[in-house]
Amino acid sequence: MDVFANLALGFSVALTPFNVFMAMVGVVVGTLIGALPGIGPVSGVALLLPLTFGMPPTSGIIVLAALYAGTMYGGTITSVLINTPGESASVVTCIDGYQMALQGRAGPALGMAALGSFAAGTVGVVLLMLMSPLLARWALSFGPPETFALMLLGLTTVTGLTGDHALKGYISMVLGLMLSMVGFDIISGDARYTGGIAEMLDGVDFLPVAIGLFGMGEVLAGAEEAGGEQILNARYGLRDVWPTAADWMRSRWAIARGTVLGFVVGVLPGAGPTIASFLAYTMEKKLSRHPEEFGHGAIEGVAGPESANNAASAGAMVPMLTLGIPGSATTAVMLGGLMMWGLRPGPLLFEKNPDFVWGLIASQYVANAMLLVLNIAFIPLFVRALRLPYSILMPLIIVFCITGAYSQSNKLWDVGQMLVFGVLGYGMKKLGYSPAALVLALVLGPLAERALRQSLIISDAGVLILFQRPIAAVLTTLALLAVAVPVVRAARRALGRRSPLPA
Amino acid sequence: MRLADRIAAVLLLAFGAGYALTAARSYTYWGAHGPGSGFFPFWLGVALAVLAALFLAAAVRQPDPGAAWLPDRRGAVRLGVVVGATALFIVLAPLLGMTLATALFLLGLLRFLEGHTWRVALGVSLTTAAVNWAIFTWWLSVPFPVGVLGF
Repeated sequence: MDVFANLALGFSVALTPFNVFMAMVGVVVGTLIGALPGIGPVSGVALLLPLTFGMPPTSGIIVLAALYAGTMYGGTITSVLINTPGESASVVTCIDGYQMALQGRAGPALGMAALGSFAAGTVGVVLLMLMSPLLARWALSFGPPETFALMLLGLTTVTGLTGDHALKGYISMVLGLMLSMVGFDIISGDARYTGGIAEMLDGVDFLPVAIGLFGMGEVLAGAEEAGGEQILNARYGLRDVWPTAADWMRSRWAIARGTVLGFVVGVLPGAGPTIASFLAYTMEKKLSRHPEEFGHGAIEGVAGPESANNAASAGAMVPMLTLGIPGSATTAVMLGGLMMWGLRPGPLLFEKNPDFVWGLIASQYVANAMLLVLNIAFIPLFVRALRLPYSILMPLIIVFCITGAYSQSNKLWDVGQMLVFGVLGYGMKKLGYSPAALVLALVLGPLAERALRQSLIISDAGVLILFQRPIAAVLTTLALLAVAVPVVRAARRALGRRSPLPA
Repeated sequence: MRLADRIAAVLLLAFGAGYALTAARSYTYWGAHGPGSGFFPFWLGVALAVLAALFLAAAVRQPDPGAAWLPDRRGAVRLGVVVGATALFIVLAPLLGMTLATALFLLGLLRFLEGHTWRVALGVSLTTAAVNWAIFTWWLSVPFPVGVLGF
């Protein structure tokens, strides 16, 4: 294995002054975005994406990946101090983290979370580094049927797990696929669904949609209600933050278990850091010798989930880099970025752009080290940022959304698109649809269509080709099960509730 | 929520059917060499229609009207102002230039929607517009719309 040679190449890329600076920007902005309620990793990546267009793709992905890792750290701060999750992967941290803060132990809660996150993030990158080349080599043998089956699996699993209503999730996904059909068809050259509007010939742009659905949509949901939260005061000197020996004893296995669980969940298409953190919390509570302490400030309830979400954010990069299938909503947006930089995500990425892939992997080690220092030594700085009232933050985020949408192709048309999708994203959120599924489908749509059409051209049995080749057959079957199980369950529930309507 | 689900289901059903029909009528379903430009969209339309029909069936049988989801009056006004201001921005940016439009947009929202003092509102909006200009126009040389005033 030439992992070490590759890693050396990676560090030679990641340690150039500009890339170190970019990683620094990513972790600081990421921690801030994670800490601020109302914007999370997805909107953060979508909003920062336009700034990367002038850079080499490697520097671009370094910023975004560092930002992603940073949000996983930053979300903890808000959960512990305000009892409001800074982003969705820190929801469970509120339960025991806030209790610890009420007991005056906010420092150790944040310190343990940072240390656990560092351990999990670093191990996650090691696993990412060891696993990705193998997976990429395996995926090199994929033809169009396998590619299509894989995309189908990615789409269906992401959709099944996001949103609280399976049907609404699938509807969101199909809408995304439909939107991705707008514009020129690459194979035939036909213009589809443009409504005669010249701007639509290039298709629905990914970036304004992503910024609209996530950035603007979240701002609108927040704008509806104004109000501030109370921040608990605590001391954040190094001695206040460093966990005690007893904390360590209680947390070390929680961190180890959270890391493994988080990474596995992250790699699976569809389940990202949020689900990983929930599973880790449940697992710790089940395994604990004193489950009654959970909910009353058990440090394992912070250490486990916070480790899991960091490992998961590393794991989610594996399918994105090797297969071109994102493992979470955030990596779906990153995947869109990769395509905009002119890279083709998938197994060939490792052969054609080794400096990109290994530079990214090496920079993740650097980013995690920076984040540990940042989140142990500079907590007061982020706490101060939390005092920035939402009433000032909200208009600022909108300005960011506007400039971000505009700067991709310098058209106000894109800002209009962003606004339309912002309103749509707000509505989808309110009504339980899944913006993440829509964006993922928008990214994968053209690729899935091409793979399907190529499969059908080489097939002599129509769609059955998806079941004739072993890998494709397994993937397709899994994808169909992923659709069928929740839909059948929902249908049975709907039919079973045929009790007479209340008068 | 139940009413919203029913309305959405009907609209989605119609949209899916229309989408599939357009694909079948205007684009090639199957060409000389295999599936054409209408093939995938046709089945997408069908898929949406089927999902929407299932969704409609579930929403019709749903006995529970569900939680209210529409914003209250104050929330609706705030939403309307934010969306309206952003739309106004798009209209005014080519006339005023991006920088001035940004400053005015922020000033308006901060002063009149959020009720900050003139000092805070002016400070934040002018600083942001300047920083924005510095990053995008000066550093990244993104061609922002320039207004009648020349910036």
